Amino acid sequence: MDVARGTFEVVNRLGLHARAATKLVTLAAKFSCEIMIERDGQQANCKSVMGVLLMVGSKGTKLAIEARGDGAEEAVRQIGELFASRFGESE
Amino acid sequence: MKTEEVEEKSDTTSPSDEPVHLEGIPGSPGLAIGPAVVVDVRRVGVPRHHVKKHAVDRELQRYDQAVEVAARGLREVSERIKGTAARAEASILEAYILMVEDEALRGDVERHIRLDLQCAEWALDGAVESMAQQLRDGGDPYLAERSHDFEFVGDRILGSFLGRPKALSLPALEEPSIIVAKDLSPAETAGLSRDFVLALVTEMGTRTAHTAILARALEIPAVVGVRGILSRLGSGDRLVVDGFRGRVVLNPTQKIIEKTTERAEKHLAIVRGLHELKDRPAATKCGEPIILRGNIELPAEAAIAIGEGSAGIGLYRTEFLYVDRADLPSEEEQYATYRKVLEVAGDRPVVLRTFDIGGDKFASSFQVPPDMNPALGLRAVRLGLAHPEIFSEQLRAMVRASAHGHLRIMVPMIAQLREFRAVKELLARATRDVDAAGHARAAEVPLGVMVEVPSAAMIADELAREAAFLSIGTNDLIQYSLAVDRTSRELAYLASPFDPAILRLIRGVIKAGKDRGRPVSVCGAMASDPLAAVLLVGMGLRELSMEASAIGEVKEAIARVTLAEAEGAALEVLELADGAEIEQAVTAQFAPRLSDLLDAGSDDS
Repeated sequence: MDVARGTFEVVNRLGLHARAATKLVTLAAKFSCEIMIERDGQQANCKSVMGVLLMVGSKGTKLAIEARGDGAEEAVRQIGELFASRFGESE
Repeated sequence: MKTEEVEEKSDTTSPSDEPVHLEGIPGSPGLAIGPAVVVDVRRVGVPRHHVKKHAVDRELQRYDQAVEVAARGLREVSERIKGTAARAEASILEAYILMVEDEALRGDVERHIRLDLQCAEWALDGAVESMAQQLRDGGDPYLAERSHDFEFVGDRILGSFLGRPKALSLPALEEPSIIVAKDLSPAETAGLSRDFVLALVTEMGTRTAHTAILARALEIPAVVGVRGILSRLGSGDRLVVDGFRGRVVLNPTQKIIEKTTERAEKHLAIVRGLHELKDRPAATKCGEPIILRGNIELPAEAAIAIGEGSAGIGLYRTEFLYVDRADLPSEEEQYATYRKVLEVAGDRPVVLRTFDIGGDKFASSFQVPPDMNPALGLRAVRLGLAHPEIFSEQLRAMVRASAHGHLRIMVPMIAQLREFRAVKELLARATRDVDAAGHARAAEVPLGVMVEVPSAAMIADELAREAAFLSIGTNDLIQYSLAVDRTSRELAYLASPFDPAILRLIRGVIKAGKDRGRPVSVCGAMASDPLAAVLLVGMGLRELSMEASAIGEVKEAIARVTLAEAEGAALEVLELADGAEIEQAVTAQFAPRLSDLLDAGSDDS
């Protein structure tokens, strides 16, 4: 089974709030593989908005993504890009 | 809605002692002074009870159903604002939809249901609250604020459970208070007690909305459509409510309070005076008898209407049996309810309207397609004919109840003759079934048409040939003729019963009834306005039906006018082409002599 991991930093000013989390979850949901998000040992399903919000991803937080299954590598790559693009926000 | 209120509060509230006058729409006459109780009907009264082990799957199913309803509602709003400038709102709605359907939330809810044996509402409330708490404890002030989003989502799901028990919706009041809410459902309004509720104020609604109609029936002063009041007021704040003029005063001065008290006493004296005359039959000054009947929504209102001197029930809205519950009322339950109303009415006639569900009334028993304009969609007789088994059950219950008094059946929303014939056939079959089951019934159950769709008014002569009676529902007739949503505040100016188009339609229906020898009545809000009632008598009507609280005033108004005067005025205004001019002409002729009835709430004197 494909397994891929990546650790990404929240760089947008407002952090991983509801709209940003929506984008992350919508992206994750496009992949059939299982995707988890983790912070300081606390884990959540990356396809759950509430789970993602509960990571309390303020600016500067580092979050670990782990994907298992079909398209795992591509999923982690695209998620990394989304973090880097500040979830489409201007600051 | 939580988030919105918090945001509104932060930029509009400026605590000050200056009185603030807010304009709304008069919902129910009367004056009140007292402390406010702000009601957020979504957050109060979350049911908390344990479920049996074998029932946990059913609780989960209930949860999934509520999620589906809540998500559908949000998607509708989202669709509506798509393509508008509200991009930020659209994306937050996307987030809400995902949160409503969230797997992690469902996982927590399932755990509370399966392991703690909590009912679905309790499980949801607990899950949402613990998630919101985690977010608040996270240490990021911006994200901590988002805990309101969780609560909002929880409220949406909570409000979507089928068969939500209504008794839990309102808080217990410790002293007589003024209820202030965004909106109240008919069931919530109906559950209010006159002794403890001084008045109602809502942000939503119009005069013909159900909150207002029920408030009038319960004789609770009400002002509806008061924009932004919730962001300016908290529980315990004193306010003055003027249900005659549709005004609310926050932070009233001592002078305003004294003046209001004086007006309230004056009004009370008039009401008492009218009440003493309640046993006098209604007639014009010259002695022409006019039949005044009451409109009711709840069986308990029948006694109120009869107590006001009503000559029967002109409109019993039976859909109350269907709303706010998960199952359908059985034939037996309906029979028992209708029978009670007939027994209260004694030898006075009672007109039962078959269910008018759809439109602005939501019934959880029926799944109505979400993609329709509800007012123009599958409602009332259309819904009944689409579900003949449910409709027939109601008709059988009515036929059986006919054994206990003078029962008539009225069919709402008839648009074509074909629909009326179909109902006639169903009624004939229901009658045969009742006979076959060996139940008693009246020899004859008159079947009439509620004329509220313009097409029905235009073919009134055809309908009168086959119907036992016609009754004009002015609220919907106005809504459909002038293409104006009856809950729209901006368009309230269009919704006038004095509009020439409405008067001409009514004139046509009256003529059709006369030609065919069928009784015609008016059972809309128009009949409860003393001026409009005088005009209707002048146009030839001899039967009016209205909320119980208006009967005394209308009776007194009619008694002060001769038939010749009313007929003269009707002839004159039917020549006019403008609604405002018509209203002015009627006012100029009759208002001086009815001023105490019209201006009981005026502060000019």
